[in-house]
Amino acid sequence: MKLSRRCFLSFVLGGAAGTALTPLPWKLTDDLSIWSQNWPWTPVPPDGATNFVNSTCELCPAHCGITVRTVADRAVKIEGQEENANKTGGGACLLGLSGLQLLYGPTRVQGPLKRIEENGTIRFQPISWQQAIDEVVAKMAELRSQGKPQSVACLSGRDVGTVPQLFKRLLKAYGSANFVSMPSVEDAYASALRLTQGIDGFVGLDVENTDFILSFGSALLDGYGSPQRMMQAVGRLKKQRGTLVQAESRLSNTAAKADIWLAIKPGSEAALALGMAQVIISRGRYNSDFVNAHTEGFDSFAAMVKEKYAPSAVAEVTGIAPEVIAQTALAFAGAKNPLAICGRGKGQTPVSLKEVLAIQALNALVGSINRKGGAQTMPTYDYLNWPAVELDVTAQTGIAKGRLDGAGSDKYPHVGSLAHRLIEAIDASAGELQMLLVAECNPCYSLPDSDKVKAAFEKIPFIVSFSSFMDETARQADLILPNHVYLERYEDVPVMAGTVQPTIGLCQPVVSPLLNTQHLGDSIIKIALGLQGNIAKAFPWKNYESCLMETLGDQWPLMSDQGYWASEAAASSSERGFSTASGKLILMNGTLGAIFMAEAPVTASGGDYPLQLIPYDSIRLTSGYVGTPPFMIKTVEDTVLKGQEGFVALNPETGKSLGLASGDMATLITPVGQASVRVHHDDGVMPGVLSMPRGLGHSAYDSFLAAKGVNINQLIGTMEDPASGLDAAWGIRAKLVKA
Amino acid sequence: MKQTQTQNQHRPKRYGMAIDLDKCTGCGSCMVACFAENNVPFKQDETDKLLSITWMRVYKITNGKKFPETEVCYLPRPCQHCAGQHEGHSPCVSVCPATATDYSADTGIVSQIYTRCFGCRYCMAACPYHARYFNWWDPVWPAGMERYLSPNVSPRMRGVVEKCSFCFHRYQLARDKAYLEGKRAVSEAEYQTACTQACPAGAIVFGDLNNSEHAVYQIVQPDAHNHYKSKNPYAFRLLERLGTNTKVYYLSSREWVRKAGDNYLANEEPGASHAPNQHG
Amino acid sequence: MDSALIPEGVKRCALWKFLLGLFLVGLVLAWGVYAMLLCWIKGLNQTNMNDYYGFALWIWADLAVIALGGGAFFSGLLKYVFGKDDLKNIINYAVLIGFICYSSALLILAIDVGQPLRSWFIFWHANVHSMLTEVAFCLSCYFAVLTIEYIPLILENRQVDKVPFFHNLSHNMHSAMAVFAATGAFLSFFHQGSLGGVSGVLFGRPFSYREHILIWPYTFFLFTWSAAAYGPSFTLFITWLTEKITRKKLVKDNTIFLLAKISGWMILTYITAKSADTLYWMFKTAPAQGLNWEFFYSNNALYGKWILFTEIVLCGWLPALLLVFKPTRENAFLRVLATLLGIIGVSLNRWVMVLQTMAVPVLTFDMWALYMPSWQEVATTILPVAYGVILIMISYRYLPIFPQEKELNPINATAEEAAA
Ligand SMILES: Nc1nc2c(c(=O)[nH]1)N[C@H]1C(S)=C(S)[C@@H](COP(=O)(O)OP(=O)(O)OC[C@H]3O[C@@H](n4cnc5c(=O)[nH]c(N)nc54)[C@H](O)[C@@H]3O)O[C@H]1N2
Ligand SMILES: Nc1nc2c(c(=O)[nH]1)N[C@H]1C(S)=C(S)[C@@H](COP(=O)(O)OP(=O)(O)OC[C@H]3O[C@@H](n4cnc5c(=O)[nH]c(N)nc54)[C@H](O)[C@@H]3O)O[C@H]1N2
Ligand code: SF4
Ligand code: SF4
Ligand code: SF4
Ligand code: SF4
Ligand code: SF4
Ligand SMILES: [Mo]
Repeated sequence: MKLSRRCFLSFVLGGAAGTALTPLPWKLTDDLSIWSQNWPWTPVPPDGATNFVNSTCELCPAHCGITVRTVADRAVKIEGQEENANKTGGGACLLGLSGLQLLYGPTRVQGPLKRIEENGTIRFQPISWQQAIDEVVAKMAELRSQGKPQSVACLSGRDVGTVPQLFKRLLKAYGSANFVSMPSVEDAYASALRLTQGIDGFVGLDVENTDFILSFGSALLDGYGSPQRMMQAVGRLKKQRGTLVQAESRLSNTAAKADIWLAIKPGSEAALALGMAQVIISRGRYNSDFVNAHTEGFDSFAAMVKEKYAPSAVAEVTGIAPEVIAQTALAFAGAKNPLAICGRGKGQTPVSLKEVLAIQALNALVGSINRKGGAQTMPTYDYLNWPAVELDVTAQTGIAKGRLDGAGSDKYPHVGSLAHRLIEAIDASAGELQMLLVAECNPCYSLPDSDKVKAAFEKIPFIVSFSSFMDETARQADLILPNHVYLERYEDVPVMAGTVQPTIGLCQPVVSPLLNTQHLGDSIIKIALGLQGNIAKAFPWKNYESCLMETLGDQWPLMSDQGYWASEAAASSSERGFSTASGKLILMNGTLGAIFMAEAPVTASGGDYPLQLIPYDSIRLTSGYVGTPPFMIKTVEDTVLKGQEGFVALNPETGKSLGLASGDMATLITPVGQASVRVHHDDGVMPGVLSMPRGLGHSAYDSFLAAKGVNINQLIGTMEDPASGLDAAWGIRAKLVKA
Repeated sequence: MKQTQTQNQHRPKRYGMAIDLDKCTGCGSCMVACFAENNVPFKQDETDKLLSITWMRVYKITNGKKFPETEVCYLPRPCQHCAGQHEGHSPCVSVCPATATDYSADTGIVSQIYTRCFGCRYCMAACPYHARYFNWWDPVWPAGMERYLSPNVSPRMRGVVEKCSFCFHRYQLARDKAYLEGKRAVSEAEYQTACTQACPAGAIVFGDLNNSEHAVYQIVQPDAHNHYKSKNPYAFRLLERLGTNTKVYYLSSREWVRKAGDNYLANEEPGASHAPNQHG
Repeated sequence: MDSALIPEGVKRCALWKFLLGLFLVGLVLAWGVYAMLLCWIKGLNQTNMNDYYGFALWIWADLAVIALGGGAFFSGLLKYVFGKDDLKNIINYAVLIGFICYSSALLILAIDVGQPLRSWFIFWHANVHSMLTEVAFCLSCYFAVLTIEYIPLILENRQVDKVPFFHNLSHNMHSAMAVFAATGAFLSFFHQGSLGGVSGVLFGRPFSYREHILIWPYTFFLFTWSAAAYGPSFTLFITWLTEKITRKKLVKDNTIFLLAKISGWMILTYITAKSADTLYWMFKTAPAQGLNWEFFYSNNALYGKWILFTEIVLCGWLPALLLVFKPTRENAFLRVLATLLGIIGVSLNRWVMVLQTMAVPVLTFDMWALYMPSWQEVATTILPVAYGVILIMISYRYLPIFPQEKELNPINATAEEAAA
């Protein structure tokens, strides 16, 4: 027994020593570490030939030039173009940089889908493209045979470029005037141009050459217009010791960088502008050459501001001391090339006509209209030389019925589109709208009072979405005909966004379409062909690509090489003249007088709601058609979003008076809705104001974005500008109670 | 051939950055450019900033005053590529037990070798800038999204530390190209980091602090005899007093911002010249 | 049933009692093992550590057990090198406690690193400038030494000892023990020190950074010193606890008093140095970095000034004095209290040097970071305690740990018969 135990122990010990001397344990140890360096679940990106494709970013109205790096058949990085019309010098905003997460992201619609209701549950069933187009055609043909072509409308993210225009053309040939585009400050600017200059066009801001920017809440450094161009311009302005004045109730990044921050009461921008005009006129500091030679109605304008907008009165409304108003106005007038800029936040919401007229009047008073460093009048792009559409009788009668949103009617003569009125029309008289085609926009999320928008959508019998993403609106659709995303398709995108150099960007396919999607242009053409007759005849193109190549004609080779076409910058000369009856810019007449004399629209008020909730735009969040990609969400500060909870920022004083400490949960209540929020104390917010970003609180998209924070559009109501009919909402009365 | 190369390399490079805080708008493009360039992973919830990998992080700092005297400033923070009191004695490099992070005497760049790192996190404890991040989770990309991953930078596995590399792979590509084209050196424009390139405000300038032709040198005016302290009165480095001798310089015309770059006793003026710690 | 394995002439509890105890502690152990496996399989996301708190609860436990395990090397040094022969009566236990502490420390490290399968890179790709490299080398070598010191004890088991080979081996090892003890002391000096160096070299962390002597920061010396000072206190405390649990006197008072006296004087000298170091840091080191010392204790209740007072006065000066003065040292209550305070003091020191270092912001616009360990961290931190208890239970039952036990607890013949 003893012997065997001894043997056993020697065997074990000897074995252990022996094994340690063999390479085996060492090899195993090494192999294990190598395995840990090569875990099969950690991806190894395949290599391949590297290429660079010039294209255009379509993710915001700036339409920057981009260069996409590809490796074999994969796009691996988006960068800004070194040379381009947007003067971004290789830069790109964080949304543009995140584009590949949209391309390869999980929220894309994989192919055409049809909504099915089974036992009360709704789901989307994949269908073929043929079936998808057939169903749209059948529905449209049916409505047309019932003599109701005007009951078909289209809601589009844009209205310039071939694709929106193909859509417009389809509706026109079909017999509907209801092509409605999503609102932005461009709408207000366009109305102002029509009213004061008699011109159809947009306003270009010559920020490269100004030495004084007076911004009325425009988020120049947070994504206004062409975000990168604005940042470059502000950088240049500061370097050259120019002046930036920001009138805004919140210490935005723009206000933080401004030389003068006018912490103004929300909604009083027009009053401030007119008050400044009053100072400039009463001190005789206006540009008399320009005013005398190129404007009409100066005297009555002067009388109006004198009567109603004396600094003391304006101080009351705006909360800015009269001497500060005067000093700033005089500094503005004293600058060589001053420029007043209109449009709150990113400019994705309109302002009242009064506000844009007042701000443009400031530019006119100092002669900064069509002058270097001023506000340029830019003509509408007109490169689409398509043959006229022949209208059959059905089409003629349909179009004669006018627009559901009333834009251009006697009631709203100054505007082209009124999306929120379309929603109201649907809400008020169900049945008038039988079919809605939604392209490149997400109204169920991004329009104010979004719950009401959703409810209105419920009443539309047939909704077709062309969205590439499963967004809030696509979820309400009966059919989804997914478009390629911008990195998979050709498309021309004319740049507005305050450019002074007419530019048409070209999107080019960087990768071939990944999913079973179809170009929106092709979908439109196929629908038109399916409807036959005059409608088909209006679309003489084989497909979208041939339509685009034909439209761009000679420019095509250049554009597909560098990714854009840009013309000379508009001539900066006040001699360009205006298309009014007198050939002069109208400062004041009967129509304008009525607008100036009207009080600013106010939000629902009442003692119940002691605070004001003001949305703000953050460059780290998107709030329009495309959802915020994961990379961007990652940059959002933990004082804006924490876990799934969104914050409302308020002044510590306000917090104290409400008994709310930073981090506390609270219920935010407005006349329109309520939401659960966390409180964040922020000294940059005006006492009495609650500040919240646009872009959170999605119910659609993926888990990287959905259900995070609050959609402020659910809390804000529409606020119709009586003069234009535009929804000029800038906030709402609110209260905040401890949860 | 070898001779020439050696001569070319005679003067070591010292890559560094100057970030103009007057220009920086806090947009965050640099952060995203870095994520995209370097295959930085992301999770469903990135709101816990202590668990969120951001090689470049933009801090928001304020002057602490009340409305409307409040001021804010954004401060982008990549790895500072500390040189320490004697070249290569970075806080992190000096402590890494496995030489998984290293100081390049040729470029001044602090590297990180993911496959060697065994995740002890000592380097993280050493870095006062929180520039280092640990992969607490396996990196996971939503199905299909791994297709955008760049082959130039390997995705990291769980359990290792990662940080800004000054886009070292871009240097390597530029260096190879310059070599193949028979060129003598990598030019300023050839090697730029992704964040520099992306910054819409042009706030970041990147280049060789030892090359008087580079913009970064001209802005910073580094004093090679005084641990590369800047001679520009508007420039400062973060925590200069600790003797980290960083290669990322910040510029601001505002004194409170410059003061926020370091710790000062009540009676001290910012930028006051102090002999930094001498450490072993 | 297992009486054949139990040392001759001593009494042990019934096997069922022993097994029940083992089972209960085993449950705790299993819980810890489960948490450990979670950390290995799912990764360190199982903890509540984060990028600010890369070192947390169990690294503190690691440092603390190594400090407490210092009783082994220091008593070894005293006995084998300085010839304090009286300590032979407690040296076995000191070695066992040391062995437990060090094996625990290694286990904790294996759980702590993100890539345990590659942790050997620390040796293979060693960076000689890193304090952690020094720690790794010295720690593993010293663990080997402790194992060598522990083996003869195992060989003294009644049955093992019957094998002539083991008997001889044990005998020979005993005679070589002085060499090992000296080696161990030397290694310990370095790894205890380098553990102190770990935080002391962090010149980016003004809270823990200390000036250097040659290549070593002051903390290097303070850690070694404190381990030598408080380690014996821990040995004494565990011995007292074992005596209470077994309800037996196991070590004679003269040995206890001697070790207590040594520990007392060591603590007294240590705490003098520590106080000087703290004052120098407060009024010289920290201000040179632009920081007022009060700043480090200003943000939250956990890291208030109380922690400084507790560590240095309450758990430093007080136990030192209690152990130095004969009357208090020989008073059982006060002596045990002093050792307990000492244990708290050194553990608090390790806590502060690691966790408070992580909590304090350095950038002016950064924030304090506090963290709460997850249950997995708590379980893995308790795991070594359970393991230690089990190892002590087994060793105590089957090995002649306490040479004086037989003499102090003569077995009453009738009782023995009754038991049989
Ligand atoms: N610690 C650690 N070591 C490693 C690795 C690791 O991951 N970790 N990886 C290994 C691998 S994969 C590699 S490729 C090697 C890389 O290791 P090395 O080949 O040593 O590469 P570098 O250190 O990057 O650069 C080498 C030297 O070349 C100089 N140099 C640059 N351009 C030129 C030139 O045009 N001509 C000449 N003559 N010199 C030039 C640089 O200044 C530098 O001094 O390291 C290996 N060693
Ligand atoms: N930031 C930075 N970038 C660098 C460098 C640097 O120093 N810093 N160095 C450059 C140099 S010199 C080099 S060589 C490269 C190295 O770059 P990589 O080739 O990316 O090297 P590693 O980072 O070592 O990662 C290699 C990866 O390859 C995978 N892998 C390993 N073995 C195998 C295998 O057998 N099969 C397959 N399919 N996969 C395997 C593993 O997933 C591992 O993560 O990095 C270059 N890029
Ligand atoms: S600014 Fe707009 S167009 Fe330009 S890169 Fe960003 S999202 Fe794209
Ligand atoms: S990209 Fe430029 S402007 Fe934007 S945060 Fe970074 S450094 Fe600042
Ligand atoms: S910033 Fe941090 S990670 Fe970068 S070199 Fe310095 S200590 Fe290392
Ligand atoms: S975590 Fe990695 S890089 Fe950092 S010290 Fe440890 S081994 Fe070195
Ligand atoms: S230098 Fe490169 S790695 Fe570093 S922050 Fe910038 S983009 Fe990221
Ligand atoms: Mo390599």
